[in-house]
Amino acid sequence: MPTVKGDGMRGLAVFISDIRNCKSKEAEIKRINKELANIRSKFKGDKTLDGYQKKKYVCKLLFIFLLGHDIDFGHMEAVNLLSSNKYTEKQIGYLFISVLIGANNDLMKLVIQAIRNDLASRNPVHITLALQCVANIGSREMAEGLSVDIPKLLVSGDTIDSVKQSAALTLLRLLRSSPDIIPMGEWTSRIIHLLNDQHMGVVTAAASLIENLVKKNPEEYKGCVSLAVSRLSRIVTSSYTDLQDYTYYFVPAPWLSVKLLRLLQNYPPPEDPAVKTRLTECLETILNKAQEPPKSKKVQHSNAKNAVLFEAINLIIHMDSDPNLLVRACNQLGQFLQHRETNLRYLALESMCLLATSEFSHEAVKKHQETVITALKTERDVSVRQRAVDLLYAMCDRTNAEEIVGEMLEYLESADYSIREEMVLKVAILAEKYAVDYTWYVDVILNLIRIAGDYVSEEVWYRVIQIVINRDDVQGYAAKTVFEALQAPACHENMVKVGGYIMGEFGNLIAGDPRSSPLVQFQLLHSKYHLCSPATRGLLLSTYIKFINLFPEIKHTIQDVLKSDNNMRNSDVELQQRSIEYLQLSSIATADVLATVLEEMPPFPERESSILAKLKKKKPNSVPDGSEQKDQMPKLPTAQMSNSSDSAQPTSINLMSQGSPAASGAASASVDLLGLGTPTQTTAPPVGGGDGFLVDMFDTLTTSSPAPATNGMDLGGLTGGAEEAFKKFICKNNGVLFENDLLQIGVKSEYREDLGRVWVFYGNKTSFQLNAFCVDISTPGDLATSLSVQQKPVGGEVEAGAQVKQQFNMACVQEFTDAPILNIQFMYSGAQQKINLKLPVVLSKYITPAEMDSGNFFGRWKALSNPSQESQQIFKASAPIDIETTKSKLLGFNVSVLDNIDPNPENFVSAGVLHTRNQQVGILVRLEPNKQAQMYRLTVRASRDRVAKILCDLLQSQL
Amino acid sequence: MIGGLFIYNHKGEVLISRVYRDDIGRNAVDAFRVNVIHARQQVRSPVTNIARTSFFHIKRSNIWLAAVTKQNVNAAMVFEFLHKMTDVMAAYFGKVTEENIKNNFVLIYEILDEILDFGYPQNTDTGILKTFITQQGVKSQTKEETSQITSQVTGQIGWRREGIKYRRNELFLDVLESVNLLMSPQGQVLSAHVAGRIVMKSYLSGMPECKFGINDKVLMESKGGKSGQDEGRGGYVKSTSGASSTKTSIAIDDCQFHQCVKLSKFETEHSISFIPPDGEFELMRYRTTKDISLPFRIIPLVREVGRQKMEVKIVVKSNFKPSLLAQKVEVRIPTPLNTSGVQVICMKGKAKYKASENAIVWKIKRMGGMKECQLSAEIELLNTNDKRKWTRPPISMNFEVPFAPSGFKVRYLKVFEPKLNYSDHDVIKWVRYIGRSGLYETRC
Repeated sequence: MPTVKGDGMRGLAVFISDIRNCKSKEAEIKRINKELANIRSKFKGDKTLDGYQKKKYVCKLLFIFLLGHDIDFGHMEAVNLLSSNKYTEKQIGYLFISVLIGANNDLMKLVIQAIRNDLASRNPVHITLALQCVANIGSREMAEGLSVDIPKLLVSGDTIDSVKQSAALTLLRLLRSSPDIIPMGEWTSRIIHLLNDQHMGVVTAAASLIENLVKKNPEEYKGCVSLAVSRLSRIVTSSYTDLQDYTYYFVPAPWLSVKLLRLLQNYPPPEDPAVKTRLTECLETILNKAQEPPKSKKVQHSNAKNAVLFEAINLIIHMDSDPNLLVRACNQLGQFLQHRETNLRYLALESMCLLATSEFSHEAVKKHQETVITALKTERDVSVRQRAVDLLYAMCDRTNAEEIVGEMLEYLESADYSIREEMVLKVAILAEKYAVDYTWYVDVILNLIRIAGDYVSEEVWYRVIQIVINRDDVQGYAAKTVFEALQAPACHENMVKVGGYIMGEFGNLIAGDPRSSPLVQFQLLHSKYHLCSPATRGLLLSTYIKFINLFPEIKHTIQDVLKSDNNMRNSDVELQQRSIEYLQLSSIATADVLATVLEEMPPFPERESSILAKLKKKKPNSVPDGSEQKDQMPKLPTAQMSNSSDSAQPTSINLMSQGSPAASGAASASVDLLGLGTPTQTTAPPVGGGDGFLVDMFDTLTTSSPAPATNGMDLGGLTGGAEEAFKKFICKNNGVLFENDLLQIGVKSEYREDLGRVWVFYGNKTSFQLNAFCVDISTPGDLATSLSVQQKPVGGEVEAGAQVKQQFNMACVQEFTDAPILNIQFMYSGAQQKINLKLPVVLSKYITPAEMDSGNFFGRWKALSNPSQESQQIFKASAPIDIETTKSKLLGFNVSVLDNIDPNPENFVSAGVLHTRNQQVGILVRLEPNKQAQMYRLTVRASRDRVAKILCDLLQSQL
Repeated sequence: MIGGLFIYNHKGEVLISRVYRDDIGRNAVDAFRVNVIHARQQVRSPVTNIARTSFFHIKRSNIWLAAVTKQNVNAAMVFEFLHKMTDVMAAYFGKVTEENIKNNFVLIYEILDEILDFGYPQNTDTGILKTFITQQGVKSQTKEETSQITSQVTGQIGWRREGIKYRRNELFLDVLESVNLLMSPQGQVLSAHVAGRIVMKSYLSGMPECKFGINDKVLMESKGGKSGQDEGRGGYVKSTSGASSTKTSIAIDDCQFHQCVKLSKFETEHSISFIPPDGEFELMRYRTTKDISLPFRIIPLVREVGRQKMEVKIVVKSNFKPSLLAQKVEVRIPTPLNTSGVQVICMKGKAKYKASENAIVWKIKRMGGMKECQLSAEIELLNTNDKRKWTRPPISMNFEVPFAPSGFKVRYLKVFEPKLNYSDHDVIKWVRYIGRSGLYETRC
């Protein structure tokens, strides 16, 4: 029998002091081994131990465990302690179990039984101990075993407040670890009403629980909004003396307020006007309170107050509905921008970034531009400066772009290395996005390369070249500027790359000036040659061969360079090959061939800025660009496109690959002049080429199709890019119709007379399942009567990475103009996604070519002389006229191309038969190109009214 | 080379810190403390690499000695130096303890300055060091004495000064061996080797030259052709060892000598000749692995009776001449970690269950040759929820026997001092053999 009873546990104290007095680790281990042997013999002994002894030994074991030794016995004794009625013994038992018994211990069943007994007990202390243990372990088995008991405890009327509080938090813990187990259905309304509880502690605990539940199932808990608003208004309007225990440094219940404000951020603004007004009042009161002088100088007071304020501002931004509130929030944040406290300034910048994206407050944010710029320059903490950069990026628009870009460029020179790369990207994007004058854009980017060349990624300089090539008006200026920039004694390799490329293309534009004569240009570039990496040298070699084409007078100088051992026998195979092949090309080929091979690069297809994609990849959540976040822009990887349309091999590349250089370079090296981006043809838009195929992010840049694409849906609710994609299918049957981050849609079609079969392939590009996938086809207007559509159903889910096929049967009843529209809907990561596309089914698909001789043709031609049977259009060619391409387009249009009929061999004459269910319609086409004026005259005659007009329009869109 | 040397007490407090090179910073002291002395797991490797810095440590009772370097040094050299360092300290102030180090810290710094120069080990011979590092007050030395010290330290025979005189020329030779063994439960030898040292204490006048003969196979064979007399003598020497009386020569796997031994002579003539330092020194170290006579055999019998009980029966057999007596025999029988009680019965000696070491320790003070002792124990076990089976660590043993288990013999030791008038016969020589247990284990 122990000599001391009670809580003292002298044996334990002695043991602990022994351990502390040990001189060395070895001595400690010896003492522990001795104690363990003692406890083992005690537990083994036949005589039963009383509660006190058990408690003492279990406690010692716990201590030994905490010292870092394994304990493999004593668990049973600890479980026995749970059934004791003494608080201390129960407490030690629970402590031991929480610390030592893992989730998959055999004893768990016994423990859960003991916990259940305690939960049912009348003594609140015992219940709380049991709840604490559950919260500490929180295993699946526990969640299963106690899924009924704990919610019951939470909503029951006769549990006391402190127990309710613990129960709510324990339940939250179980929900987090095993969310699928707890059935909440029947308790919903009662849990929501906990927000009305008298006791603030219970409300605080319940608010956390409810927020977690809401995240899982927002609909079911919708009722909490009004309760939360009323609770919030009661707190906000109360004075700090009202809530005695829950006032923290003169702020009434700050934690609860923050939790409620967060809870409300899970829902859209309340619809009930009464609730809405009340909420608005609350938010206004919070904003008002921020203006009041502080009641205490203590930092805790201002922290608590600001926590509530920032959460309120977050809610205001989330609701994004009340311009008044947004502007007020913005002003409040503006005050914080100049606050002494760095943390506040950081938070203010961060919140303002969000405010800048809202249409209501964008202008208000802009007022603080000066302050933000000062912050960028003077802040000591780099993370704050980073936020300032983000905010500047977010608040930038056409009006202030020049200034902001200027400031950022200026700051870049002294910026931290950690944020330089991101800043470079941002400057590049802003400059491109808001450039009114492209000379300015070129200046900015060249400055960028000059200041922070190392941080300028490939994408940035690719982009500037794309833009210079696509815009004739800046080419001369760009050439001049890079020429000047290259004259600096030391310039960055990226500058050499840009310079090499641009001068190779447009060097002739400045060659007139004696200061930049061809030889000077060449010598300037060649002076940098030896300092560059092999990749850049390869690019420069391509520039040299282009120079040979541009300036035949320096041909020999360049040939000498190509001939030099340094190039011809370079250890780098790529350089060696280039120099040998270019040398051969320049010496064998005639001037004409050379001119064709080395023709000026065709304009690049407009596409989403690759820089933006990079920025997004780098910081997925921090691109606060309104338009981007709202819609899923179709982004088409170019490589894939050129693969899928292999029939459309650009002719220029074909030319090159016939035993001449750069074929390998074009295929392999991405820096190659000819291989940069998608090689598009020079002479005519390819059948599958991407001209106007993509909607660029920046409407100002789209040269060919200035369709504003600010919102994803344009022209009759079609998803962005759908119209362009549709057009390219007029002359072809298979290909990729649409693609974005989530989905790729491909089309394959087959037509026989009046019957058509279209397969649509939906490829899931994400790594998640797409749910509730449904496809519907609609036939607008009179299309319903002229095209009979049969649709095979498609399954509800698309697995990650999988492809689903759907077949449509389309029979042509009579002639039609519109195309059927495909409505695709699915759920992706909880959000509803909608894509509307025009299915490329047009009248021309139902034509079959017809052969006939000259007499036959003109006989028919004359027979169809009725004005309603003829449609004629004269228009400018959308791309340079090329006979082969035009011919292939006509064939793709399903009409024959008849030779030796028209007296003028330049003209095309075609015939075909249109099959509809009711009748067959003869089609005759005459196309007269005018190469000088780059114009076409197109005449279509058909035996049925309207048909000629429809086909004429369709064909025109392709030329 | 060594960049610095630190001495810590058991708590990790620095007692001595001496940095020899600039590449070792102040933080190295803390790095070792944090990563080795206060490490969560026991650090078992004597070499630790922390932040591109190597720490070599040895532990003497509660004292840690650590050498630090950033370079790629010869680790064996560093450890040799550390051991020498402890020997030197022990020679100056006895046991190396925290107390002693604190009391002699000035002396230790002085020694450290002397035996390491820019991290390169210098003369570590205690006898020589004692001539110029003394614990007495500095007495001003005459010019001759100073020049003598200089010639001593820089001269050819750095380990012995001239002009030593004794009335009685005496010489003590100890052959100290430690036997290491691992044996299977069935009595099969899994591995065994003997590590031996020859420690000599010489009190000889002048500059005597000594010649030392042992029964090494290689030495004897090479001599065999030349002088049959030696061979014969080697064969007829009356053995003091119990077991290896029949064999005449042993195969030494490797050996190393004190710096005083003339290695060139050893290589050409296969004779060990040297001018000994004054006082105690270790003349030679060697290792053998063949034909070891094992002084003891343990026959274990362990039976698990159910999950709650275990029976252990141990028989120890001594295997040497009955006239000899083994001393300090101790058998350590590990017990399972869930032992809750032990009953032991033994016929001879004392046996006790030591919970703090998780072992039964059986001590026998003396034991004659060709005898047998038995111990039986009943171990009670407690059920645990640990499913791992007990790994049964080997039974280990400690002892001391008065012969060399390797069969090593000293054949002769001759002293020549041409300048002074004493001959080999006037020197009184003492030879002693002690065999101790190293890691002497039997699996059960």
